[in-house]
Amino acid sequence: MDAFRRLPGVGKRSAERLVLHLLSAPEGEAHQLSEAIATARARITTCSQCRNLTETNPCGICTDSRRDASIICVVEQPAGAMAIEKGGMYRGLYHVLHGVLNPLEGVGPTELRLERLYTRLDGGTVEEVVVATNATAEGEATALYLSRQLGQRNVRVTRIAHGVPMGSGLEFSDEATLSHAMEGRTPLG
Amino acid sequence: MWLTQLTCRRFRCLDEIDFTPGPGLNIIHGDNAQGKTSLLEAFLYVCTARSHRTLHERELVSHGDDGFSITAVAQRSDREVTLEAHYWQRAKRFKINGVAQTRISDILGRINTVFFSPEDVGLIKGSATQRRRFLDMEISQINPRYLVALQQYRQILKQRNSLLKQHRPDPTMLDVWDAQLVPSGETVMRERDAFVRALSVRATEAYARIAADEELALAYAPDLEDPASFAATLEQARETDIRRKQTTRGPHRDDISIVIAGKPARIFGSQGQQKSAALALKLAEIELIHDQAGEYPILMLDEVLAELDAHRAQHLFESLADKVQCLVTTTERELTEKIGGRPYRRYQMTRGRLEAQ
Repeated sequence: MDAFRRLPGVGKRSAERLVLHLLSAPEGEAHQLSEAIATARARITTCSQCRNLTETNPCGICTDSRRDASIICVVEQPAGAMAIEKGGMYRGLYHVLHGVLNPLEGVGPTELRLERLYTRLDGGTVEEVVVATNATAEGEATALYLSRQLGQRNVRVTRIAHGVPMGSGLEFSDEATLSHAMEGRTPLG
Repeated sequence: MWLTQLTCRRFRCLDEIDFTPGPGLNIIHGDNAQGKTSLLEAFLYVCTARSHRTLHERELVSHGDDGFSITAVAQRSDREVTLEAHYWQRAKRFKINGVAQTRISDILGRINTVFFSPEDVGLIKGSATQRRRFLDMEISQINPRYLVALQQYRQILKQRNSLLKQHRPDPTMLDVWDAQLVPSGETVMRERDAFVRALSVRATEAYARIAADEELALAYAPDLEDPASFAATLEQARETDIRRKQTTRGPHRDDISIVIAGKPARIFGSQGQQKSAALALKLAEIELIHDQAGEYPILMLDEVLAELDAHRAQHLFESLADKVQCLVTTTERELTEKIGGRPYRRYQMTRGRLEAQ
């Protein structure tokens, strides 16, 4: 039960339910699950180029010749890359940091292995880096740090826009989001 | 606004309380350590998500229990507001009118309260930390934007300080955290300045009514004269910061200057002057909330009557007249002189049980 509770989003009750379910379900089901987890762990590694999670190395996105290799989108976690992929509008490559700058937790440029990103830029094919870290203090600090570091190289560094969610009313947005959206306003027409 | 109903379950020594005060003066009588202060603390907690006595919720739970719940119903001029606080196995939940809330900043200001206890004289004679805590609590109540900026400022400050503790911190990293710190710090300074300006007018008036022959002057005493200079100041102080391994300049070093009859009250004020100044500050706060919220807050007086002489007590109740609901705890039995013969409801607290009398 404790093993389940270590998973994100699983509390005492959920852990209890999961354990009871697995114990009372046909034996095959539990074995299937444990095999699936073991196979996933064995097969999935981080891509040596973009550090995203992948079954093949380099990953499917890095090796896809139809994708635009002149643009790299930097995200905090694999989940961020997955979210952008779902949108389907982005055709460039990714770079996953697996974290953000966070001195309190001892995370600095070395821990984020930023040199791996710099090496990718040395090839000279990359023209733009889009920083898509989260809109938290740590995410913003990381974005600013990257823009400083990448400024010396011959690439354009951009930050994704923050603002009101599509299809949502202004009244549902909090004040911080609205003031950010107001600052980042763009001319119409 | 006034509190019509307060229920507590398993909060400290209060196992089961159903308190239905009247709109005017409510006096809760009882010996020491019977649960009078805990009752006020429960009301303060459900309104502000904070206790004045502790930062740890687990201390608020009855001995041997897993949690507590508090419900407060207040009548505002145009509507009724119900706030609930539930604490269960280290998780806290708040509801407004039955709807669960995720952000503490949304709870503040729904029911406005002013809490006055003998420790408040620390606002005058205590450390700058106490005065900053006062500023932070009071501004957050009437201005949710302030709380957001303050929480951001504290988080970024922690990050910056932790960076400064490193051996030879990376200058670019410091630049980056400075850039995050500046906007939230500026907001905190500007809001504090505006609040103290408004408070100062009201406090001077209130003090003049208590002590006619002396003047009380209150002013924001920021670490930085001009909020707009924050970025430049951080840059100038950087070497010192690196040497001392902490952020030496910024609103986390602010204070309020309190001067009575031309002299700093913290050092030169007599005990009587300091008590009067603390009272004036609280009265000013009541008026300020009225100015901003359009309604008077609910005043809690915790064991204050024993500290105030008849003159100051009478003045307090005169200036509040019938405008403000008061929840008063006291161990004194004879109150006629202090409350000046005003009508009141009386309750008796004995070992965590409350009885109307």
